[in-house]
Amino acid sequence: MARDPARLRQAWLALGVLALAIALAVGAVSIPSDAGYAGVGPNFLPWLVSAVLGVCGLCMLWEVRTGGFRGMLPPDSDQPAYVPGFVWLSAGMLLNAALLTSIGFILSCTLCYAFAVRGLRNAEGGLDNSPRRWLIDALTGAAIAAPVYWMFGKLLAINLPGLTASGWL
Amino acid sequence: MELWNQLMGGFATAGTPVNLMWAFIGCALGTAVGVLPGIGPAVAVAMLLPITSQVDMTASMIFFAGIYYGAMYGGSTTSILLNTPGETGSMVTAMEGNKMAKNGRAGAALATAAIGSFVAGTIATILVTLFAPVMANFAVTLGPPEYFCLMLLAFTTVSSVLGKSTLRGLTALFVGLAAGLIGMDQITGQVRYTGGVTELMDGIEIVLVAVGLFAVAEALHAVLFEGSTKESQNPMSQVHMSRGEWRRSWPAWLRGTLLGFPFGTIPAGGTEIPTYLSYGLERKLSKHPEEFGTTGAIEGVAGPEAANNAAVTGTLVPLLTLGIPTSTTAAILLGAFQNYGIQPGPQLFETSSTLVWALIASLYIGNVMLLILNLPMVGLWVKLLKIPKPQLYAGILIFATVGVYGMRQSSFDLVLLYGIGVLGVVMRRFDVPTAPVIVGMILGPLAEAQMRNALSIGEGRWSIFVERPMSLTLLGVVLTVLLVPRLLAHLEKKRGKSIYS
Repeated sequence: MARDPARLRQAWLALGVLALAIALAVGAVSIPSDAGYAGVGPNFLPWLVSAVLGVCGLCMLWEVRTGGFRGMLPPDSDQPAYVPGFVWLSAGMLLNAALLTSIGFILSCTLCYAFAVRGLRNAEGGLDNSPRRWLIDALTGAAIAAPVYWMFGKLLAINLPGLTASGWL
Repeated sequence: MELWNQLMGGFATAGTPVNLMWAFIGCALGTAVGVLPGIGPAVAVAMLLPITSQVDMTASMIFFAGIYYGAMYGGSTTSILLNTPGETGSMVTAMEGNKMAKNGRAGAALATAAIGSFVAGTIATILVTLFAPVMANFAVTLGPPEYFCLMLLAFTTVSSVLGKSTLRGLTALFVGLAAGLIGMDQITGQVRYTGGVTELMDGIEIVLVAVGLFAVAEALHAVLFEGSTKESQNPMSQVHMSRGEWRRSWPAWLRGTLLGFPFGTIPAGGTEIPTYLSYGLERKLSKHPEEFGTTGAIEGVAGPEAANNAAVTGTLVPLLTLGIPTSTTAAILLGAFQNYGIQPGPQLFETSSTLVWALIASLYIGNVMLLILNLPMVGLWVKLLKIPKPQLYAGILIFATVGVYGMRQSSFDLVLLYGIGVLGVVMRRFDVPTAPVIVGMILGPLAEAQMRNALSIGEGRWSIFVERPMSLTLLGVVLTVLLVPRLLAHLEKKRGKSIYS
């Protein structure tokens, strides 16, 4: 089994499901069972979900041991994963989460956009990472983020964080 | 007569300039969303859900329904011209429509898809008009045991009928149920699985999960695995059908509608099954079976497209009358109702009759708008396919930020959004369906509350579920859905073996 990387990955997924089942069971221990008239309390469903996920995880492991997951469609593409692009896109999204409240929606989303475009373009084989390209991406990102910010903030009064209190930046 | 008056009242509300404008924006946006890869109606509605804080309830529901509807029209354009379905219901259209387009008949395929969607959408809306009030009257008689069994049926169909593997479907469903457990228990107020994080006290927003699983996962999947995938666009031809093509199309539209509508109304999870069934039926009945899979048969586009639209309209029946969503987008629409403090269900036709009838009337209006938007103006939508993927996906991330942050003003939700996106990529690589996660998450807490209420009625006796005729019948249906496909597969295997031996 260990020699087949596809089945090894499936085994990891099955173990992940089992780990989730165990985590749910651990959490369920501390939920009180005051049943009232129903005979089942707030801890009933957590235990049930944990048990079923445990059984699912075990069944998945059994499938891995006996030839792999059943009825698997071939993946959409058999290319190897392009990790650098993934890192750029992930960095964009996580920086957006970290900086949104401090540098405001427009700048934060512009940053997210520029990082994501770079990752996606590099994945497609476009390797132009010159400062000029960065500038174009940042300007495009700002050209999308700013109207979105104004539309949702000014027109629909949705509270999005700004760099200033003016509601325009 | 009363029905007619109520419908006319609906037209009066939906026909105001402001509501017509919202319907038009919804239809146009929906068509764009359907055409563009990487974003579907569920995500689009989810990302725009924050507007519910400002926009009038009727206007925003008309707007969201327009997006839902429009995406079905737009999805077929992408399927026919690119062979990458914009949304799941168009997968079958992608098979025959693309073959037709490759043989220089893109225009006819686009025409039959748009007119078929119009015919099916209109007939299905008439059926909604006629049956939804009847269904609502019937639903009033249902109690917690029956509601719980209905939800059990939704769980069963969505996890075991869809997808290739019941095991992975079931796992996805229970992951969704687990996500639905986070936060406060509806009945006792007991906090569960928050790990001391205050942001989790209100539970995880369905918007966050839908946007994460669909939009963010799509972007992450594209960057990881689709870099060198090259797409070629089929040439356009004049959007026109010959007399022979009309003759071949209209029976397929009607058959597709009759197949699609019932599937939308029962909790069978989506448009995939009726579209595939319609395709199979058309292939069997066609006088030109040699065209299927070779040059492309027009019935293979007409039938499934009609079934798709009829099913989408049909999902409004259980949503409005029972409060049970049977598709991902319907689940998000339920969230929109809840944002206004309204719980769809049998009482909705009484308490919010203006809203319901305006929504139904807007479907008639939306269908006409969409036919105009999608036939003469199809060339405009095709231009959207020219947007480069990196810019498109990165732009979607900006809208995802608005949708998710706008709900609760929490940066924590944005981190969670990324995590759910990664989970979505993992699920896609292992062919684990995502629809059961959403259905499990939104119906889980409702089903739990109904189950505990039912058990309270039965004073703790589980037999309450078999003592009442309706819930017993529903349990029978659940068992049939679970067992019959397996029995049939088993018999087929046995027969195959005996023939072999």
